Amino acid sequence: MTVLRMLLVALVVLAAGAPALAQEAYPSRPITVVAPFPPGGIADLTGRPLVAALEKVLKNPVALVNRQGAAGAVGMQSVAVSKPDGYTLLVALSSISIIPEADKLFGRPPAYTVDQFAPIALLTADPTVLVVRTESPWKTAKELVEDAKKRPNQILYSSSGVYGTLHMAMELLSQAAGIKLRHVPASGGGPAVTALLGGHVEALASGPAAVLPHIKAGKLRVLAGWGAERIAALPDVPTFRELGYPEAEFYIWSGLFAPKATPAPVLAKLRDAVKQAVNEPEFKDVMAKQETPITFKQGEDFQKFFDADARRLAEGVRRVGKIETK
Amino acid sequence: MFETIQNLALGFSVALSPSVLMYAFVGCLVGTLVGVLPGVGPLAGISLLLPATFGLNATNAIVMLAGIYYGAMYGGSTTSILMRIPGEAASVMTCIDGYAMARKGRAGAALAIAAVGSYVAGTISVVALMFLAPPLATFALRFGPPEYFALLLLGLLVLAYMSGGSMAKALAMAAFGLLLGMVGIDQMTGYFRFAYGIVELGDGIGVVPVAVGLFGVAEILISAGQKTPQEIVQPKFRELLPSKTEWRESVMPTARGTVLGFLIGVIPGSAHIISSFVSYALERKLSKTPEQFGKGAVAGVAGPESANNAATSGAFVPMLALGVPSGPIPAVMLAAMMVHGISPGPMLINQQPQLFWGFIASMYIGNVMLLILNLPMVGLFVNVLRVPYPLLYPAILAFSVLGVYAVNGSVVDVWIMFAMGAVGFVLRKLQFETAPVVLGVVLAPMIEMALRQSLAMSDGRYAIFFSRPIATTLLAVGAVLVILALRPLVMRTLDWRARLALVEKGENL
Repeated sequence: MTVLRMLLVALVVLAAGAPALAQEAYPSRPITVVAPFPPGGIADLTGRPLVAALEKVLKNPVALVNRQGAAGAVGMQSVAVSKPDGYTLLVALSSISIIPEADKLFGRPPAYTVDQFAPIALLTADPTVLVVRTESPWKTAKELVEDAKKRPNQILYSSSGVYGTLHMAMELLSQAAGIKLRHVPASGGGPAVTALLGGHVEALASGPAAVLPHIKAGKLRVLAGWGAERIAALPDVPTFRELGYPEAEFYIWSGLFAPKATPAPVLAKLRDAVKQAVNEPEFKDVMAKQETPITFKQGEDFQKFFDADARRLAEGVRRVGKIETK
Repeated sequence: MFETIQNLALGFSVALSPSVLMYAFVGCLVGTLVGVLPGVGPLAGISLLLPATFGLNATNAIVMLAGIYYGAMYGGSTTSILMRIPGEAASVMTCIDGYAMARKGRAGAALAIAAVGSYVAGTISVVALMFLAPPLATFALRFGPPEYFALLLLGLLVLAYMSGGSMAKALAMAAFGLLLGMVGIDQMTGYFRFAYGIVELGDGIGVVPVAVGLFGVAEILISAGQKTPQEIVQPKFRELLPSKTEWRESVMPTARGTVLGFLIGVIPGSAHIISSFVSYALERKLSKTPEQFGKGAVAGVAGPESANNAATSGAFVPMLALGVPSGPIPAVMLAAMMVHGISPGPMLINQQPQLFWGFIASMYIGNVMLLILNLPMVGLFVNVLRVPYPLLYPAILAFSVLGVYAVNGSVVDVWIMFAMGAVGFVLRKLQFETAPVVLGVVLAPMIEMALRQSLAMSDGRYAIFFSRPIATTLLAVGAVLVILALRPLVMRTLDWRARLALVEKGENL
């Protein structure tokens, strides 16, 4: 309700204060899409083909800019406070709802809040998978969970970093299964896979694309997936929902956002354009090559998905709490 | 063996096709340029060009990106030697003796030695990459957090043991650097440390602004503060090439730098910068004339420059053999492969022989291109020294600001650079070496992460460092070094460090 009211207020202000702007057809100058992470990451690899497709649909230049820093907080903050005119957009990942929650936990002034953004569309939602080394004693997720119950805090897992997406996936599982695993964070998803391959940790939640080659090469074994449905590339791997842990559901997703006060007609135009863009053959082709399925959601659907995800993540962050190290 | 040669023949057939040749050349050229620009390093260069590679085929894309990476190592030495500004972070050590050589009128010789050293190191390490990649990569995987911590600690001890002048001063500077490295998000708990509400400080203090500030900006301040303006060095053309003695002095440091750099590059983690520091320290220790270091020692240019080039090839080992990144740059290159539908991993060599061997062959060719590109440029670059200082220095400052800003697009970084320039000026006036500060900034986050990951693995027990063979061995070597360093105190003999101090005292009289 407040969201709607804020939107209305913004509209009224815009309509009254900037009649010249209202008459100008959108888009009439280059659009910037901010990826708050370095090149080569998921936001970048999804964002680049998207802006290329958007450019074609809108017949207007669209550029992707990497504004990395502080686990994405720098770039997301910059979009949150940018002029809400539809010329500055954001490709964000699940971490968009983690950062404000972590800020709250530490009593910091938040870099931004989730309600500073208007969701445009969900682009991808890749469920994480649980992988272990082939030599490991666990053949199924159940065996790992049983073992973890017998030896709390003894099984090591790696992640992309504290409060990062891969950490949260494991934490949601621990929460759902009532187990405790020991966390050894790495400085990114790549180093986390390296740590698992080298035998320095015993398990890892990872995006499927990053571990598929190692699974095919027989180095890693996949035990289960976090999604509501099985992964197309791994049809024999059960989901945690099937195993009786529906609350563990987790995706590494990417979505397009605009600043909250962006005028409704502009948002409508953008939503329409994105819908066409994800159906462009080039976009589909690039995403298929990266083995990242497109999961397109808009409006109500996206909002529902986003809210449910944010709620689970907030719960996860709160449960992890402040980390005490020895 | 025979199979390798056959495969290499396949590789050259790919690498010599006109389109691959062209992209290798573009990569090398861009690499040289980003290397020459102060601050902008290979990561920034690769990141900028990554989107452009999406439209190419995979081999062309990888060949071009790799060209940027090793090309930057060639270019990085140029501004270090001519202006004492590290063109990229791994060239910090080249600033010291390279610039000293330039002040003595040997800029041409220093540039030529850096280029040839880079070429030799680049070529030899590609051979090593070709033959040793699979076994070395498996070994590299055994480097977990405890091993990495032991290695970095050993690196610090080696440097302290081998640094010139006062050991206390060197250690103080390294400690200052380590303290600066503490700023930023605590990677194990998510706390913001010493950020004072500045979101950008969450990532910590970057090595680029620190290096450019401490070396480049401080140098300009020092020169400006001199009563008599510095003489303009006018190199004569026939003095451009190194003399016979200089060539001879560069042979062994180049060879040692190559081996050292390659081995350090192979280990996952982003330790390739320390290869040039360790090489410099090693050369000074082995030198018969350690007092020449800092005053234009040829070995102080040849060793580190070879080491940083060999390290880039070493970094490709885990990437190609296992599909795991050994640092941020290989990580971006892995992403570039995935965009083209190639899953990097243990199967890459078998599934994509064209790509793998074409890539290897293109590195041989790329190194030749870089040598051809860089040697004739020596004459051109040296002319920069003819520009009068009132024109040259503002231009350098402008380029430094641009370069530092370009890395993250962050104004905060520019301010850090200026602050470091002022700090560097004071330190230089007080006769502190500033290179250990840069090293401290580089190492602090890595050492901390490795230590705390190790302790997380062992649930807080330090025994983990003594129960793993590689870590234990590395720590034992470190302990021996500490004992050796303490020996002069007990034996009351003069070691080279004391002799060096005496010589310096004599000179100052």
